[in-house]
Amino acid sequence: MKNITVLIKRLCIVSIVLMVLFLNSCKKVVFDFSLTKEFSIQAAASGANYNIKVGLPLNYNSSGAKYATIYVLDGEENFDFVANECRRISEKYGTKNVLVVSIGYGNDRSIDYTPTKVSSLTGGGSQFLNFIKTQLIPAIEKNYNVDTTRDGRVILGHSYGGLFGGYVYGVGNKLFGNYILLSPSFWFDNLVSLQFEKDNRANNKNRKQLVFMGLGEAENYGRMQAPFEAFYQTLTKHYTNIKLTKNIVKNLDHLGSKNPNIVLGLDYYFQNR
Amino acid sequence: MNLYKRLLFSLTIFTCSTCIAQNDTSRTTKKNYPVRQVTIEPGLGIHTNAGTDLLITNLVQWNPYKHLSLASHTSYNINNALQRNFNGIQTNYNYSINQKIGAGTTFYTQRSAHTFLLMAGLKYTSFKESLVTPDLDKVSSLVNSVSPDYGFMYSLKKGVNKYFFSFRMYVPLYPWPIKDSNILAVDGNMNNVSLEFGVGIKIN
Repeated sequence: MKNITVLIKRLCIVSIVLMVLFLNSCKKVVFDFSLTKEFSIQAAASGANYNIKVGLPLNYNSSGAKYATIYVLDGEENFDFVANECRRISEKYGTKNVLVVSIGYGNDRSIDYTPTKVSSLTGGGSQFLNFIKTQLIPAIEKNYNVDTTRDGRVILGHSYGGLFGGYVYGVGNKLFGNYILLSPSFWFDNLVSLQFEKDNRANNKNRKQLVFMGLGEAENYGRMQAPFEAFYQTLTKHYTNIKLTKNIVKNLDHLGSKNPNIVLGLDYYFQNR
Repeated sequence: MNLYKRLLFSLTIFTCSTCIAQNDTSRTTKKNYPVRQVTIEPGLGIHTNAGTDLLITNLVQWNPYKHLSLASHTSYNINNALQRNFNGIQTNYNYSINQKIGAGTTFYTQRSAHTFLLMAGLKYTSFKESLVTPDLDKVSSLVNSVSPDYGFMYSLKKGVNKYFFSFRMYVPLYPWPIKDSNILAVDGNMNNVSLEFGVGIKIN
């Protein structure tokens, strides 16, 4: 009996030590400060102030061949991870890295990232898209040596950010040629973003597209899987000039699947752009 | 379907074997605290993810020694039970079956027993969603998955008679930190923290 008590005590101690080690592994990784430029832009329409960060490639060259740009939604949460992964993956493939543009929060994200108004905290999507189109992209393309065509622009978003990416795919397809849509909230307002895609399909279907779609297998709240599959099947069926793939991360949920899908999405982009 | 049948069969065998493992099912400590050897504790529960999952559960606990507890926990979960039609998305079905076994220790007070267990097992989840919006193509998505399921369980037995109040809380240690050490993965754990209540039965 004493042996068993001792064993249980030891197991408890080992568990605590392991937990401390795991907690220590949760430290946030930060992108190289010397390669990060930061400024803010006030949106003309809403007056909201957006904090913008630009992650430059190592040995960034302000002349010569143009760099592609990745516009990262929820930038305050995702910028460092995306910028570090871009560097790692581009080095892995020996290909030119990209500029990573982080879009911080100006308004509440649920206002900026949702295309239609169903409450006081939704429906600013078109205004936010206009801000990106008329203020942010021109500022980036004026100040940095970047590709100014839609093929050279990527938009990356998760959750409501993924919904916004899907909305842009429909109504702002001239602006971006590449989409990394992670756990997109396509359920929003009775699947309105799927309707936007359908309404604009005739204009968009012959354009060159690259789309990565990611989801977590454990996202089983009765709203994530079917719209995700519907969007994927629609793109497969109606778009001929598209590079498209999807990934469902086994056993992970809405937030847990985000970073694994970012890695795979960027990898897909660097391999197929 | 085969997997489903095998899981059910395994659960039944395991539960039965645990139940019949002991003849002497009850004894008292020096201070007359109830040290039950085998208990069966059926219960109902929820997950803490806004409480939309309904859990039908059972814990079979065997205390071969006063401070050593072995347990088998079975749970059938009707997931997302309250919102089967949302924004043009229909949930055709959505359930999980969990089976875990574990070991731990029990502490006793005057009228209750507190058991802390480390549990490990499997979780089988199956769900299907379909779009039912007239303007869009009808598309369905089906997921069948098996995942590890381990974590800490706290079990409270309140009462000294044959029937007693039973409460359990289970905190999973999967997917974080086992599958993914990134703290974001902890949402998978948080969505599966369970609270269960029921009436326990002392087996004589």
